[in-house]
Amino acid sequence: MARATPSNTWTKPAGRPIAGKPIPRPTRSADVQAYIPEMVKGLGITMKHFFKNTKEMVLGQKPDPVLNALEPGVTTISYPEEKRPYPERFRGIHRLTLREDNSPRCVACLCCSTACPAQCIAIEPAEYPDGDRRKGYERYPSSFVIDELRCVFCGFCVEACPVDAIRMDTGLHAVPYDSREQFIYRRDLLMSLSDRSGSRLTANTRHEPGDPTHPGLSRDHADH
Amino acid sequence: MPTIKIDGREIPFESGDTIIRAAHRAGIDIPHYCWHPGLSVAANCRMCLVEVLPPPGRPAMSLDILRWDAAKQDYVPAAKPKLQPACQMACASGMEVLSDNSDHVSEARSAVQELLLLNHPVDCPICDQAGECRLQDYWLEHQRKGKRMRQEPVHKPKAVTFGPTIVYDAERCIVCTRCIRVCNELARDPVLSVRERGNLGEITVSPGRELDHNYTLMTEHVCPVGALTSRDFRFKARVWFLRSARTVCQGCATGCNAYLDYDPRNNTPYRHRPRENMAVNTYWMCDEGMLSYRHAVEGRLLTALVGNDDASLDDALAAAKEQLAGHGDDPSKVAIVLSAQHSNEDNFALYHLATTYLGATDFFVSGKPLGEGDDILISEDKNPNTRGAVQIAAATPPRPVAELLQGIASGHYAYVVALGSDLEVDAGEAQRAFSRLKGVVTIAAHEGPLAKAARVALPACSWAEAEGTYVNGKGLAQRSERALLPHGDARPAWELIGRLGRALGYETGWKTLAELRRAMPPGAALGGAAGAAAPAAALGAAPAVADGARVEPKKTEATA
Repeated sequence: MARATPSNTWTKPAGRPIAGKPIPRPTRSADVQAYIPEMVKGLGITMKHFFKNTKEMVLGQKPDPVLNALEPGVTTISYPEEKRPYPERFRGIHRLTLREDNSPRCVACLCCSTACPAQCIAIEPAEYPDGDRRKGYERYPSSFVIDELRCVFCGFCVEACPVDAIRMDTGLHAVPYDSREQFIYRRDLLMSLSDRSGSRLTANTRHEPGDPTHPGLSRDHADH
Repeated sequence: MPTIKIDGREIPFESGDTIIRAAHRAGIDIPHYCWHPGLSVAANCRMCLVEVLPPPGRPAMSLDILRWDAAKQDYVPAAKPKLQPACQMACASGMEVLSDNSDHVSEARSAVQELLLLNHPVDCPICDQAGECRLQDYWLEHQRKGKRMRQEPVHKPKAVTFGPTIVYDAERCIVCTRCIRVCNELARDPVLSVRERGNLGEITVSPGRELDHNYTLMTEHVCPVGALTSRDFRFKARVWFLRSARTVCQGCATGCNAYLDYDPRNNTPYRHRPRENMAVNTYWMCDEGMLSYRHAVEGRLLTALVGNDDASLDDALAAAKEQLAGHGDDPSKVAIVLSAQHSNEDNFALYHLATTYLGATDFFVSGKPLGEGDDILISEDKNPNTRGAVQIAAATPPRPVAELLQGIASGHYAYVVALGSDLEVDAGEAQRAFSRLKGVVTIAAHEGPLAKAARVALPACSWAEAEGTYVNGKGLAQRSERALLPHGDARPAWELIGRLGRALGYETGWKTLAELRRAMPPGAALGGAAGAAAPAAALGAAPAVADGARVEPKKTEATA
């Protein structure tokens, strides 16, 4: 004979009334009945912090809630006037680094868009026009689009880039725009962003044939 | 058959084989740059060094060297065996070779890699060899460490234009001389040569010449690194996005086996690569064939035409029915034009429709006119399937289109149903002749004189968009795989012919490719694995050169 299924402890048992658990009521002592002393106590704490903060503000002694976040006494920061700094390795909005002549360092090798797990990078490569000294040597992105809504900020594109052209060191995170279109970051916007110190100079100069910094032949030697 | 032992594994060899050739045939990969199975042996890259054990009872050939002793902190005298290049060392029965199992060999490979990369620029991101580079592959397999040289590498010219098709980067060149040997031995036009020596060595074109023979793209294809790049392909695509279909080149009657590399994301072909088939093209293809991948998308007929106006397929079929109304009264007035540009399947579909339902008895074959050929690969016949089309209609031997024009002039014909768009006769003359007919219906993949002359033209798939069997000039039937999805309104020609037949009120017996192939005479369509070649002897042709097993794709020299 099949056994009855065990009763579910989360539902009311069949056929039995619900057994309540008696909770003793608090005794109505005089200091509980009279709320005024408790209210004064609470107001005292408020006033203590008020005068302390006012004094520190007037004397300029207020500890920086951002830099001294672990100091006693400060419990809140006044966001958005005060912001916690991101750690050095925080991955923010991408930027495209530039060469000395302000052209993009990106050579449109598509390594970043290949590595991107969210497939948020779309690059259209193009060849330099006739007469450009990089013509025939490398290519550049005629269009470089990152969909920041799709991006998962994993940093794989930065890892994959062989020429240090894409970085996530702007320190910015995507602000709440009001349309999807505004999250589509295009080439010129990405090239205009700087690192968190405001610099757009690269730390990794490339020495290419033809550059004054290049110790070898110039590309003019290419004519046989 | 005599055998040698490589890393303890017995492999057979043929008389005259080198170690690397015997190993290559047995599927053992001995790393190499300068060796190519289709070229002579140069033995200059030294990547294929192996240790050959001495015969029993004989001392090993050894070299005295100094080896660093970490305990003594000094160099101490030592000996190491003399290694041999596997590409040059002939096999001898009972020879024992150590390739992967020898520490000396691994050390030598690592050292060779380091030497080759001493002056090689690390411009992988801008190098368009992009993932097909032996230097990258072997670095990971055999080196895995940086170079010790800290000086500035030797700089050499970059992006030198060698000719209309090839750009050369001397810095990346490892002077393996494969390109030189391709020019000398395949194209028999010794236009390339090495100049300077050692780390200054670079490839140079003969003074006053350009690299402009018919096999220049092969020099790029055999280049194991990114030194030679094709102007057609460079900077166009990344190889890791490409997929390959095993196709047959449509350039001429040679029917070279090829890979059509295409990007499935945008349905675009990017290049043709030769596919190894010892019976047809060995490892090679000509420039024209390698660039002919463009015809898969260029000059196409993408919508149906009714009187040279775009129309939907259904409207065009209705118009075709109108055009051919009355063909049943006198079947001898219907002329059928098969196409040497279309596959056996397409030609058979039309032949079947014509003989079984239309009752036509007169067949013609259209195609491109004869062109220049050579005695290497290029055939004078510029049509991939002349032989197939003729064999399909063997019962009623097809005649050239010139005779069709004569027949039209003498009033023999009133209707023409044609496949293909090319005519070997003068286009204007053909147009005048066709304009006298009651009905002209063409099924064509490309725009051309025949498609223009037709009142109703139906858009067919190009070879890249449909499977098909092609019989080359030697009589070898080869299957070509589908690579792309059909562009525009294009449908496979055999399917359009079936729909045309049904529009005319006939119940054609096949609606799928498999049904059509079952209806075909044995040998005209290939069963089994796609890409396998089978003898076309059943077609009553000269005995075919069958070497089907070699067509199966594998990572060979030709795909490097």
